[in-house]
Amino acid sequence: MSASKAKISVKGLKKSFGANEVLKGLDVDIVEGEVVCVIGPSGSGKSTFLRCLNKLEDTSGGTVEVNGFDLTDPKVDLNAVRQNIGMVFQHFNLFPHMTVLQNIMLAPVELKKLDKAAARAKGMDLLKRVDLVEKADARPGSLSGGQKQRVAIARALAMNPDIMLFDEATSALDPEMVGEVLQVIRDLAAEGMTMVVVTHEMGFAREVADRVIFMDDGYICEEGTPDAMFSNAQQPRLQEFLAKVL
Amino acid sequence: MWRRRGGTFAALAAFFTVAIMFFGIGGASALTAPATLADQSAPLPLGSTVQTGAVHTDVKGKTFAIATDTTFAPFEFRDGSGELVGIDMDLLRAIATDQGFEVDVKSLGFDAALQALQSNQVSGVIAGMSITDERKKVFDFSAPYFDSGVQMAVTKNNQDIKSYEDLKGKTVVAKRGSEGETFANSIKGEYGFTVKALADSATMYDDVKAGNSVAVFDDYPVLAYGVSQNNGLKIVTEKEQGSSYGFAVNKGQNQDLLAAFDSGLANLKANGEYQKILDKYLAKSEVEEQGGFFQLVKDSFPALMKGLWLTMVATVLSLAIALVLGVVFGFFKVAESRILRGIATTYVAIFRGTPLLVQAFFFYFGLPQMTGQPLSVLAAGVITLSLNAGAYMTEIVRGGIQSVDAGQLEASRSLGLGYVTSMRRVVVPQAVKIMTPSFINQFVITLKDTSLLAVIGFAELTYQGQQIYASNFRTGETLLIVAALYFIVITALTQLSNVVDRKFNK
Repeated sequence: MSASKAKISVKGLKKSFGANEVLKGLDVDIVEGEVVCVIGPSGSGKSTFLRCLNKLEDTSGGTVEVNGFDLTDPKVDLNAVRQNIGMVFQHFNLFPHMTVLQNIMLAPVELKKLDKAAARAKGMDLLKRVDLVEKADARPGSLSGGQKQRVAIARALAMNPDIMLFDEATSALDPEMVGEVLQVIRDLAAEGMTMVVVTHEMGFAREVADRVIFMDDGYICEEGTPDAMFSNAQQPRLQEFLAKVL
Repeated sequence: MWRRRGGTFAALAAFFTVAIMFFGIGGASALTAPATLADQSAPLPLGSTVQTGAVHTDVKGKTFAIATDTTFAPFEFRDGSGELVGIDMDLLRAIATDQGFEVDVKSLGFDAALQALQSNQVSGVIAGMSITDERKKVFDFSAPYFDSGVQMAVTKNNQDIKSYEDLKGKTVVAKRGSEGETFANSIKGEYGFTVKALADSATMYDDVKAGNSVAVFDDYPVLAYGVSQNNGLKIVTEKEQGSSYGFAVNKGQNQDLLAAFDSGLANLKANGEYQKILDKYLAKSEVEEQGGFFQLVKDSFPALMKGLWLTMVATVLSLAIALVLGVVFGFFKVAESRILRGIATTYVAIFRGTPLLVQAFFFYFGLPQMTGQPLSVLAAGVITLSLNAGAYMTEIVRGGIQSVDAGQLEASRSLGLGYVTSMRRVVVPQAVKIMTPSFINQFVITLKDTSLLAVIGFAELTYQGQQIYASNFRTGETLLIVAALYFIVITALTQLSNVVDRKFNK
């Protein structure tokens, strides 16, 4: 797949919860290695949009193509597509009945990508990367929020995905732990990972994003480079939003 | 009396009719009273001829299968060691010895005994059975070996009530559907008292002793036996409305055996052994006081242990099946398919929405009548309990799965793991931990629910207790022992479960 071709291509995406239409027709193309930050007020549909990218939500209209597979096609092998998409949740969603290392090894072993020994080695590598080797045999319950989120990122990387989705990854953290998690995400961006990051950290978005998307009321309201968005906002709604959060 | 314990059976039939109606299946046949049921079924074998004037020398050395009831003290009941004793049993064995034949006694229950006789599985029935014109159409009866009748009894210390005249304004108790109740009702207007009906003799005697009623109307032999067992009552009136009990064979068959019974009975009456047997069970034995509480514990222990064993067997079998049902239907309940959810919801609604007792009656009495396939009482009991507990297990499993944070399944699915793998590795292990206390709770409930199976005659712990106080009339003490056994077993098993829970669900 060439670098110029879209890794993620969203066309006319709609999503309703009952009578409540949350996404009202989104069109987004994301190319390989691109880091896209999605910002916007609560309830604007950011998280729903993100969750449509690996079909944690069923879509109501439009298409979502990832790596050339249309997720809205019921015949697509969703599990295979998802193995190439890592996802990090606001509330970590670590498996409490497993150790940190077991959390990371689960998918590679269950999906027969690696044997136990190789998965263990891979797990330890990933833990080294997020600087948590000493917590390999700890239970998630004994970790701090920042540590939990770093483990969650390591777990999401275990299947070697080429796309990472971050759903408000730092929103549930105490302020002093935000930095350590953002550093890991920053490192991934530097390595050229394709990423979609839903975030409230405007400084971070400005620093790492190649492109910033501002969502409001189920629409993409404005998008552009961080500089254009943060220094030269066109839409009054974006100006209003930035005035509140900056 | 037409048929003793008719009241209980009428109640069963009524319950069962309700069950049939609930399930929406035609139930006219369900209303057939047990006695007529026994009378009308199984037509006589073709070609059987009456062997007039047959001599009974033919019975010598032969063995006859004879059916009887399970418990009808003092005619047949089990003593502390589980041996079948009573007037019928002693009489039958004495006659067999006198006439030189052997008997193989089968304790089947009254209705089952009549069925067995009609289908020629046994040669005769002796079960405290009244000789009636209805029954004479199907059976040949021996000479009457016992004359029954209704009598009135009051507490031993009661000096005020000596006759029906003293009952004015008072309440008496009689067995539901019995001759005693009919008789009491026939004279209540004349003497101005109220009649209350209860299901069995032991309960009636307790009612009188507790002072809830002043007197009891019951069958002479039952009452006399109770008094001989120091049940705390005394008989104050003569026999009324008597009927006679006889030994029965199929009409026109086994005439040798019938003749042998008659001549044996005549011999026993002549040599005084007949009276000895009657006295053994009916004579007042004021001197022989009942043993103490610990003697009762000792005497009843073998029977109660047998019952406890069956309680455990029924509990373990039922829970194992219920667990499977609960897991299957529990997963149906959280499935995406509307059909699977519908099936599980219907199952739970039916078995949680009807009383366990009605279910037990349905599976034991109702289903066999509809399918023609008889079920053993253990099978019926286990089916009832497992389907019932399975419904509750379904809800426990559903609740357990749903109480696991939805984010757990999402995280697992986002890694590319399938639904089944995600459930197996991520959701279920967490759900099991949440469910364990409820499982232990259901285990205890099911163990206690086995006691309800006593009503369909499943010989578990409660049933054994009932059998014991039906013959010794020590209701309170016996129930205390039964309750203590339940308590000990349940407490021990709960403790054990908690230890296991702590060990595996850290």
